[in-house]
Parts: sequence; C-alpha cells; structure tokens
Amino acid sequence: MGGALGFFEQLRQPRNTYAFLVCLVGAILFVAFHRTTFHDYSLSEWVTIYSMVAAVLILEHFTFQLPPEGNRQSMDSSIYLAALFVFGVGFSLLILMFSSVISLIYNRSILWWKHTLNFAIYTFMIICASLTYDWLGGKTGAFGLSGLYAYMLALAVYFAVNVLFVGVYYYLMYKGTLYDFVKNILQDTLFAYMGTLLLSIVLVMLLGNSHSFGLFLFLAIGMLLSHAFRQLFKMYNEMSEKANTDQRTGLYSHSFFEEKLDEYMQQAKEKGTPMSLVMLDLDDFKKYNDSFGHPQGDKLLGFFGSLMKEACNPRELFAARYGGEEFSIIMPGFTGAEAKDFMDKLRKKTNDTPFDGVDVFPHGCVSFSAGIVEMNQESYDKSQWIDWADKALYAAKSKGKNTVSVYGEENHLPQSLEQDINDLEQHLKIFLSKDVYTFKHSKRVFSYAVDMADFLQLGEKDRRLFVLGALIHDIGKLEIPRDILNKKTKLTPEEWEIVKKHVLWGKEIVLVTEKYKDLVPLVELHHERYDGRGYPHGLKGVEIPRLARMLCIIDSFDAMTTERPYQNTKSYEEALEELRQCRGTQFDPELTNHFIQYIESKLLPVQILTLSEREAAASNQDPH
Amino acid sequence: MVYDGIVIGLIVGWIRAGWRNGLAALSQIRIRGGWIFPVLLLIQLGLYSLHEKVQLIRDYNGYMFMVIYVAGLYMLWLNRKEKGFWWIFVGVGLNFLVMLLNGGKMPVSADAISVIDPTYAATLTDTAIASKHALLNDSTFLPFLADIIPLTLPYPRNLVISIGDVIMNFGIFIYLQQILLAHKHRSSFVETNSHKI
Repeated sequence: MGGALGFFEQLRQPRNTYAFLVCLVGAILFVAFHRTTFHDYSLSEWVTIYSMVAAVLILEHFTFQLPPEGNRQSMDSSIYLAALFVFGVGFSLLILMFSSVISLIYNRSILWWKHTLNFAIYTFMIICASLTYDWLGGKTGAFGLSGLYAYMLALAVYFAVNVLFVGVYYYLMYKGTLYDFVKNILQDTLFAYMGTLLLSIVLVMLLGNSHSFGLFLFLAIGMLLSHAFRQLFKMYNEMSEKANTDQRTGLYSHSFFEEKLDEYMQQAKEKGTPMSLVMLDLDDFKKYNDSFGHPQGDKLLGFFGSLMKEACNPRELFAARYGGEEFSIIMPGFTGAEAKDFMDKLRKKTNDTPFDGVDVFPHGCVSFSAGIVEMNQESYDKSQWIDWADKALYAAKSKGKNTVSVYGEENHLPQSLEQDINDLEQHLKIFLSKDVYTFKHSKRVFSYAVDMADFLQLGEKDRRLFVLGALIHDIGKLEIPRDILNKKTKLTPEEWEIVKKHVLWGKEIVLVTEKYKDLVPLVELHHERYDGRGYPHGLKGVEIPRLARMLCIIDSFDAMTTERPYQNTKSYEEALEELRQCRGTQFDPELTNHFIQYIESKLLPVQILTLSEREAAASNQDPH
Repeated sequence: MVYDGIVIGLIVGWIRAGWRNGLAALSQIRIRGGWIFPVLLLIQLGLYSLHEKVQLIRDYNGYMFMVIYVAGLYMLWLNRKEKGFWWIFVGVGLNFLVMLLNGGKMPVSADAISVIDPTYAATLTDTAIASKHALLNDSTFLPFLADIIPLTLPYPRNLVISIGDVIMNFGIFIYLQQILLAHKHRSSFVETNSHKI
C-alpha cells in the first residue's frame, strides 16, 4: 500500500508524469503497429531478425564516446531504420523489442524505467519515420534512387522526434528553457547523428546486395570506428586531466577549481544541502623558501599537497592549489562547524607530521591558517564567496596563524574600544618573535573575554576593563627568559619562581601607561585562587576582584585546551570536566558555571549535548 | 559447435593477455562440479559409437541426450555467478527447450542447409541426419529456436546453428576473456590507483 502511494506521489512530478505517459502511449502504439505474430515470419526472416538484434546489441556496446564526458552516440538507429526501409515497420519494432528486453536484463545498472522510456521513445521514432516513409510513397525492399525524398524525410522525422522527446525530458528535469536544450542537443550531436542516419541508407544498400555479409561488414566498420574513437576519447581525458591538475602538488589547478566551484554551488542549491568553502595558506612559507631555497620549498608544497589529498579524498572533497602557497577546498555537504572540525583535524595532523627544516617556523612545525565560509542563500556570486573565505583567512592569520576561523564568527567590538585594543596589540606583537604561543593565547583569551562580557551582561566600563585586561594579562612574560618559556622539560623550583613573577612584572609594565592603570588588578591577580592558595598574594574568595576571578577561569581553560605540536591536549569536554572539579577550590563556583554554560551554548552546541544531558540526569538525582 | 566458442575465446584471449599470462590464468580456472563436463562428454561419445549397434540406444537416444542436457544445465546453474555462465545457461536452455518439444531431437532447416551446400540438401532424408537431429517441418514447435542459421563465409566453417548455440558460444567467449584477462585487469587496476594518489 505504502509502495503504491509512493509511486503515485512520484508520478505527480512533471518529469515522472511525462515519462509515464510516453511509456504508456509508446506501448499502445507498439501493440497497434506490430500486429503480426511470431508465426508470420519465415525461418530466413528469423535469421535476419537474430542477426539484426545482435547487431543492435553490439553497436550499443560499442558506443562512440565523444568529448565532453558523458556524451555518447550509438549507431543502433541505423539498424532500426534499415530494417524499416527493407523489411517494414513490424520488423523494425520486433528488433527493438528483442534488443530492449535483452539490454533490460543484461544492463541492470540503468534503472528499469529508463529502459522502458527509451523503448517508448524509439517506438515513437520508428513509427513516425515509417508513417512519413509510407506517406511519401516509399516501398519496402532494396534501395531505389526514386525513393530518395522519402528516405530523407523519414530520417529527418526520426531525428526530430528524438530531439523533441529527449529535449522535453531534460527540460522537465533541469528546468531551463526548452529552446536551449534543443539547441544544445543539436550543437553537440547533430553531425554525429546525421552520420548515423545516412549510414542506415548505406546499410540498406549493403543488405540489398549481399544480405548478412553486408550487415557483417557494417558491424565490423562500426566496431573499429568505435574503438578508434575510444582511443581518442581516452587521450582527450588524459590531456584534460593533465590540464586540470597542478603538477607540483598533485591537487587540482586554479582554473579547474573556478570551473568546478560553479558546478558545486549549483548542485548545492538544487539539492538544498549545505556546502563550505575553505581557503588556506601555509604560514611563513616565504621564510622557509628564503632559508632553504625554492627547490626545498617546492618539496614542502608537494608534501603538504599529499597531506591534503590524503585527508580530502576519502570524504570526496575537492582540493585545489589556488596559487603560490594558497590552497582551497570545496566541501559539499559540510556546514561551517563541520568544516572547521575537519580543518582543525587536518591542521593538527599537519602540525604533528615531521618535515625537514621546520625549526625556522615560529610554531616549530608546518602550519597553516584557514578561513571557512558556509554557503547560504545570499551566496550567488562565486568571486564574492571566495572573497569572504579570504577575509576569514586573514582573520585567522591575524589571530597569530595556525588557526581556523569561520566567516561571520569574528567578534565585533564597539568603536571606542578598538583604538585601545590596537594599542595593546602593538605591545603584544613583541611576543611574535619571542613566544608565539603567549601571543596566540592572549588573543584567544581576549576573544573569550569579549564573548563572556556579553554573556555576563557587563556594563560599558567593566566590559572595557575585562576585554583589555584579558588581552594584556600575560604581558609580564616578556621578562621571562626565552629558554624558560620554551623549555620542553619540567621547570626547576627556581625557574618556577621566575615564571610566577610575570604577574608582578606585568603590573609594572601596565603602570607605565597612565591610561591603563585600571587594568592592574586583572594583570596582577589572574593567578589568585578562590581558596587562597594562588599567587602573588594568596588572596581568597571575594577579596579577589570579580573580573580577575573570571579571567582566571578563562586563562586556565585556554591553557588546558591549547594544542602544541607533539603534545597531548585536552578536548573541550575534558577541560570543562576539569573546571567542574575545581569549582570552589581553584575557581569561583558561580562564575565557573556561567563560563561552562557559555562554552556549551556557543562553541559546542552539538558535541557537548550528550555531556550536558548526563549532567542534567545527575543533578536530578542530586537532592540539592 | 561447442568447440568453436572455446577455440575463438582462447585465441582472442591469448592475443589480448599474452601467452604466458593467459596460460597462468588458465591454470587458475575453478568450476564447481567441473568433473561433470568430461563425464558427460564421454557418455555422449559412447552413445554415438554404440548408436548403430544397440537397438535400445537407438530407440531411446533422444531421451538419453535429454538427461545429459539436464545434468549439464545443473552444472551451469551451479556456476551462474561466473561471468558468462548465464549466457551459456540461457543458450543451452533454449536448445534444450526446442529439443524437448520436438521429441528429443534438434530440428534442422533444410533451407539453411541448402544455403551452405545445395547439392547436399537435395539428397537429404530424415534418416541421413545424425542421431541428434531431425529435419524441420511444419509440425515442428518453436521453429525459430531450431538450427536455422546457416554459417558460411566469412566464417571459416560451414555450419547450421540455432540461436541457442549463438548465445551459448557468446557466453563461453565472455567467460574465457574474463578468465584469461583476469591477471591483466588486476595489474592495471593497481596502476590507476597509484596514479590517483
């Protein structure tokens, strides 16, 4: 019952209604015109039928493949037409029926209703051609020059009916203008088709002169030509493959990317599926090139290209080299968040894969920055779309590189703050040469702070204080020697004492500028603990200013989740778990809850769901 | 007629695969119930040689061939997963069908024989045809499945065959190509894969 309902539901689509009607009328016409029964054919006619069915099947197998991809031309029409001219319409329809049934059974990769539709369309073509031929006084039998006009017009009608039926089908399927489709068909196949039609007359002559040997000769020529065309087509494919790939990286080329992007956008729009575009750029590639020379730089590009291919191929993503050290990936079916997840994994993989000479990079590993843009209703123009992805890429670069950012998710700030932020950023830039991790850490803590200021609905003054304080909070680390900052092994107690001093040094640095004096508590106190066991003063509970308590949480969270090459990091879930455990000891419990809420709502709407559900279940059991 | 498909299939297959590859591939042939085929062949030869001598065999010859056909069809059915065996099965089945309906003998068209050798057809009588065949006439069922196709030049042999024979030999050809080129297909598959990386 459900199946029947589904069938009728499908029928209501115009394309299916059309297919159904054509099949129905085709079947009726077939029965009407094919009157004769099997007994009406003599045995020698049966032999002819067999050989012609075989000829149709062989020619269908040896179709001509014509560039571009997917365009093919079969010579089977010449058999039907020759049968029609020599033996009459019933004969031709019988051949059509046999060959259709056999290819229906044999070629099951094509849907059954497509076979039926093709059969119906061919029935129309053969019958219309036959009616024209009879009307113009054509006689069945051997070729005669007197019937030339009948032949020609029958061929023309055959062709016209074919173009019309197929054109209407594609018109209903792709919703364009009928005229365009017919024009395209004419442009693509007219000459090859005309060849097939004229060959039918050649076959008529051959059949008249030497019967089955004529057919044999015809088949042999058809097969050989098809083979020759195949070689040509193969060559064409190889050449276009070469033209479409970038030799250095093995990825697709820029021009092919532009071409494909249009197609993918069209597809995503038609299907209504999400799609994302990624632009990415290798960090500090110029530095690498300058240090090791271009040949080695090319090797790095090739290496990175193979990494990208390895990641993209299993998911059927389209990865291209956009130019220089810029790459792009088209991700059909990916939302922005999914794309970010994918890119972060690729980034981590790239970071962790060793390569010669990575020491020159500030991160100590191969890294890239990426910008993602998700397609929405407004994105109709591909150049604007690429531009948005580029913007996101620059945002990622300005966050200190080795990051992925999604277009539209950057933080927006009121104008008055921006000047101050730019100011403090200049100070921070010193870290770029000394300790890029502190630079990036400060940037991330800053962006968390911007969001938290909104979340906690801070007033204008507090908001400014909090955001700026977050940006500059680790400035005191400038005074810590490089070898301690970048030390990979555990710190000695003496070194640890030095590290602890960074809050005091930071205070001194901030005090220099009158304007930023109010930031001092944040810089000085962001390592105090709620239970009084922090540094530098060991303040406890509400003795610590509220914003400093908040900053402490953000600072710790980011430290936990920061990834460094060749080291394990905590996932967001694990870090949140840690925060929960330290509520009331290290962190202010109320503010911690706020922060957890914010992270759950903003950053991990999907992944964290199971965790928060679990917690909800736990809190239900909890009497408090 | 069975041998034609095998011979042509082997020749074409060997040309395509190369002598050594083809030979190696042939040694890999695995057919389920493969022993049935030579046994059936031996029985058939035995029946041929005894045909003139033993009255019993002459009377029931057609039915004995039917039994052999059923055993053969069973063997083909066992191997239907092999590429080409479906065609062989259908072809043998069509031959079997027309023989079953016509008293266990394959009807042969006298017209078709006359195409090949007009003088031979004139002297032809029912008894002159071998034990397996009978002359086709108006009371023959499904005449279009009988031996009606005259094979002559450009084909190197003169034969009259049925559509079932054609389909069966096509299946044999397909199967042998598949077997002989298996090695080649495999190696080329690896090649294209490495191109893609």
